[in-house]
Amino acid sequence: MYPVYKPIEHVETPYLFFTGKGGVGKTSVACATAVTLADQGKKVLLVSTDPASNLQDVFGLELNRQPIEIPSVKNLFASNIDPEEAARVYRENTVGPYRDKLPESVINQMEEQLSGACTVEIAAFDAFSHLLADDAIFSQYDYVLFDTAPTGHTLRLLSLPTAWTGFLDESTHGASCLGPLSGLGEKKDMYQKAVQSLSNPEKTMLILVARPEESTLIEANRASIELRDIGIENQLLLINGLFLSGNSNDEIATAFYKGQGEALKQTPEELKQIKTVSLPYVSYSLTGIAHLRQLVSENRTIETEMKEDEIALEPLSDLKDMIEDFSINNTRVIFTMGKGGVGKTSIAAAIAVGLTERGHKVHLTMTDPAAHLDYMFKNSAINQDLSVSSINPEEEVEKYKKEVITAAGDLSEEERAYLQEDLASPCTEEIAVFRAFAAVVERSEQEIVVIDTAPTGHTLLLLDSSEAYHKEMSRSTGYVPTSVKNLLPRLRNPKETSVVIVTLPEATPVFEAARLQEDLKRADIVPKWWVINRSLYRAGTRDKVLMARAASEKQWIKKVQEELAQKRALIPWMQEVKIGYDQLKEFVQS
Amino acid sequence: MSKIEIFDPAMCCSTGVCGPTVDPNLTRVASAVYSLEQKGNNITRFNLANDPAAFTNNETVNQVLNEKGADALPVTLLDNEIVKVGEYPTNEEFSKWLNVDAEELTQKPRIRLNLN
Repeated sequence: MYPVYKPIEHVETPYLFFTGKGGVGKTSVACATAVTLADQGKKVLLVSTDPASNLQDVFGLELNRQPIEIPSVKNLFASNIDPEEAARVYRENTVGPYRDKLPESVINQMEEQLSGACTVEIAAFDAFSHLLADDAIFSQYDYVLFDTAPTGHTLRLLSLPTAWTGFLDESTHGASCLGPLSGLGEKKDMYQKAVQSLSNPEKTMLILVARPEESTLIEANRASIELRDIGIENQLLLINGLFLSGNSNDEIATAFYKGQGEALKQTPEELKQIKTVSLPYVSYSLTGIAHLRQLVSENRTIETEMKEDEIALEPLSDLKDMIEDFSINNTRVIFTMGKGGVGKTSIAAAIAVGLTERGHKVHLTMTDPAAHLDYMFKNSAINQDLSVSSINPEEEVEKYKKEVITAAGDLSEEERAYLQEDLASPCTEEIAVFRAFAAVVERSEQEIVVIDTAPTGHTLLLLDSSEAYHKEMSRSTGYVPTSVKNLLPRLRNPKETSVVIVTLPEATPVFEAARLQEDLKRADIVPKWWVINRSLYRAGTRDKVLMARAASEKQWIKKVQEELAQKRALIPWMQEVKIGYDQLKEFVQS
Repeated sequence: MSKIEIFDPAMCCSTGVCGPTVDPNLTRVASAVYSLEQKGNNITRFNLANDPAAFTNNETVNQVLNEKGADALPVTLLDNEIVKVGEYPTNEEFSKWLNVDAEELTQKPRIRLNLN
């Protein structure tokens, strides 16, 4: 269907960037590529940006910013840039010297402003740029591989000429996301050089990694278009984890295979235009050099060694136990939270139906445009105690942007471009959606409100406290709606509100979910339940390849159980079908 | 010539679009300051997020911060004296302090040529 990915054949440029959603296997593919090229006698530098560095598992080494040679692979050097860490160091350098000179409220404000997604993004790009713009590096290595790519937003900001004029200095509007990194002016040349290298097809290739799942293909498409617009045109799509086995006696394997085929049929048109290669779904986890070599080797033998199962798991709750818990405690507001593609919308729908069945009045709000809400509940008589609404983030953002641009009045072309880029920053959508939340959460006095996403801790902290918050809120409207006034205290009250963290039983999703939880804790919100979704282990597959995968899930389930969650529910892998009320009902009945 | 200094709060996005509400004030102030600068007035802004030294070195500002905390920002000084605390000056105030026509503050700045 697609040719198998062979680094020797498909890698065309000295710089490679891998991009894709968390958990698609970017790091594994990057490592396997690096090892293969080094085995050819090429000198390779692998730069990882994985905060929860899997690289240490892979190479069995501690890595930091200084490249070191990997003893077990000749010619391979690796370094790790942790963007979170880079942002933290930057924050501390900025704030540290003033701790004893400025009052606490001022220090807190500075710290929070430097804790956003923008600071992290730019800190990572800053680190890339050092490598991309350094001719010495270019001549020293045959290949430099980055296991992640900068976002379009970051690159657009950097390519706006405005960013290099007076805006970066002390006056007028400093760029939103560049603002935090002062002294950027001096780095102008380096950044420009880095952007030039990125958009040179002779030098840089972008490898879009996706799984045969709809959400990761949509994400790959988004990244592809966004980065092509900036001039990164040399792209390769890599479908990772194509399931080839067809153990037709196993229902789960059959459904798994079918599901992948369905998802691939849904590949966005633009993405189909890109040269596509694939890698098979393998039974082993990609740690250790031997496994990496095997993944992209010429004579790949599909080995399915069943390791002696050492991990014993405590029994876990089901979804219905969690719903029961909410029902008994009369929780009024329930958010499901997690990275895209972990199934938080389906979980929210299931919770809503479960609570309705237990005799509560429930209102379900969905923000996932792909949820096909009407389809989900189509032809199934919705229980009169369940009402459904949706918040479309895109529409909210559009409305919000219009408001801002209108409010800004007359702007020069340059300023307008600038403001528009500010509006494309990661926090804008959250803010826009936040206001829509406030109105929905207000309903929780009469009915239980279930929402399929939650604001991040960073957003809540920006809105936090007190007067600053009310002042901000009243500034544009002239008065503070009670819905908004009550929102934060309500979200922080565990008797009223529960945030459910949704994740998958795999390394990256678990680490990402742990970071979401940390972020919420900063805002004094402590998630009580974790839902581990789509577990093959829980589904009880008999397919050899899937069974080996199921066994490797256990370590992540255990980690959630023992280190991360107060309470957790495990949900079996199920065929992704859009389900209606009655099917959901069966699924959550007590 | 009079000197104006504005000490801004730390902002995630300095245009204010990432704040909890759209603050037309921020873009208004940015445009006004820009126009005033173009006309050769002595007007400077300091952002807490990337220039905290300015906030500790200036005794007047430091004092008001220690009294009122972060809510005191933005603080505006006219010739080293505090003239506004906790909110931005209006265009009328700018024009009064610097003796310029308020009309001029809302004019479109000319597009600068980009000579890259």
